[in-house]
Amino acid sequence: MMLVPITYKGGVYRLDEIVDYIEDLGGYIVQRHNIASEVVLQVLMPKEDIKRLIAFSRPLAGEVTESPLVGTEIVVVIPSLEIHHLPHSACDVAEYLRSNGSKSNILGMARGFGKRIAQLNDEERDLINEHDLAIYVLGNFASCIETKFPKLRRGITVPIILTGAPDRDVLEKQTDPPVAGYVGGLGRFMHRTQTEADIHRLDLVIEEVEKVVAARRQEIANDPLSVSPARLQAIIKQEIPEIEEVYSPAPIAVQLNGLRLKLSYPEYAQKVRDLVIEDEVKVGDVADVLPSRMRNYILIRIRPLSETNIVV
Amino acid sequence: MSGLDYFEVECTEDGSDNYNKIATTVLQDHNLLGIVEGLHIYINPAYPLFVATGFIRQTRSVIRVSDVGNVLIQDEKATISVGDETYLAAMLKMFWQKFGHDNVDQPDRFTVIIKNVDIPKDLREWVVIDPSESLFKDLIYAIQVIAPEGFKVRRENYGKNRFSFAASENTLPAEDIEKIIADRFAKMEETLR
Repeated sequence: MMLVPITYKGGVYRLDEIVDYIEDLGGYIVQRHNIASEVVLQVLMPKEDIKRLIAFSRPLAGEVTESPLVGTEIVVVIPSLEIHHLPHSACDVAEYLRSNGSKSNILGMARGFGKRIAQLNDEERDLINEHDLAIYVLGNFASCIETKFPKLRRGITVPIILTGAPDRDVLEKQTDPPVAGYVGGLGRFMHRTQTEADIHRLDLVIEEVEKVVAARRQEIANDPLSVSPARLQAIIKQEIPEIEEVYSPAPIAVQLNGLRLKLSYPEYAQKVRDLVIEDEVKVGDVADVLPSRMRNYILIRIRPLSETNIVV
Repeated sequence: MSGLDYFEVECTEDGSDNYNKIATTVLQDHNLLGIVEGLHIYINPAYPLFVATGFIRQTRSVIRVSDVGNVLIQDEKATISVGDETYLAAMLKMFWQKFGHDNVDQPDRFTVIIKNVDIPKDLREWVVIDPSESLFKDLIYAIQVIAPEGFKVRRENYGKNRFSFAASENTLPAEDIEKIIADRFAKMEETLR
């Protein structure tokens, strides 16, 4: 069964029925935002049932849209947390990703600035590798990006999208080995992205991210995961009630092939491993429960079918 | 850029348009557009080197006690009814220093009373703040924001009505910078005067 990411936007009136209907169809609610009297649900659900949900929600004036970024955790990497990059160039990209359904984090490097002096440390490298995808928001000069980018990508195993002010072709030509995606014409800027041209550039970022995420999803579909991350999220929510008391924006962040669980690793790791998914199958049988480098959180990496011979 | 009589970004590589925009936004955000008369930015990403040179307009006049509010002097007592709160904090600080905390009273938001001391006759003329003192600090801070990040080796100079700023991540080539700064000042002077 292929789960497809969608966004549901609607009012609170009879919302419980929508939620029940999604769950009855075998869908999972990954994130829920309440904005005044409007509710936005980010959902992973079976593809063939989407039209049923559309029909069901029509009388309630609900809106169902496909949003490929739901269920991904993306990191926006910037050379530092200085005023040079914040708030606009970094936050605008991160916010745009968020409004398109992704869970986005910003990572400002300790010493990522400069050309010759730029460097990436092991903590930053590991943190970036915990995400599904990294977007590098770099500066205005081609020669500078050419010198510093190889240093900033060393050891990164997740797909990278490189953005900068030079044209896309220039970035593509000077990056060796190539990365997963490029967006030109962005670079460092100090103003808010308001004009149509600015927004268009952000749309290009989303387009590029969607392309990379689609390819990654296809790759996973070829060797399916032993359990869907969304299902694992539902189980954890049910079995570990303490997660309700975590006030981070996304206590369980769903990724393409795992989850980030914002609970202490020493306290909860074994509990998570022992959770029963179905019959005799425990979480520990189908996934690696690892310490995350983000605070003391837990990182869950789901193993594919080829490794476990189990699909639940 | 509006407000500036001379503005140019010179760059040895593509990218001057972006710096044009960055400089405009930063100067605007820091309320410096009215103060800077001319600005020339030179960027060489190959070295890398960033040099900014500029002229400053005659600065705003000083803020006196009479600019903050109406002063009424009676015998041993002076009452100031505050009209503009912007510099009130600075004025109070000055009074406390000169007259002592006990002798300066602020019964409500818009009234300051000085008593129990000899009131100087020229109280109205006392200078609360001289904006030009902090001007260069603000200006150099703004230029630092415009400059590419990570240029930790810096040299800044300011005189009566001009300033220069050079920065790099490598050692600054002193002679080259002198020449760049002198050339750019000459060019600006030619256009402006």
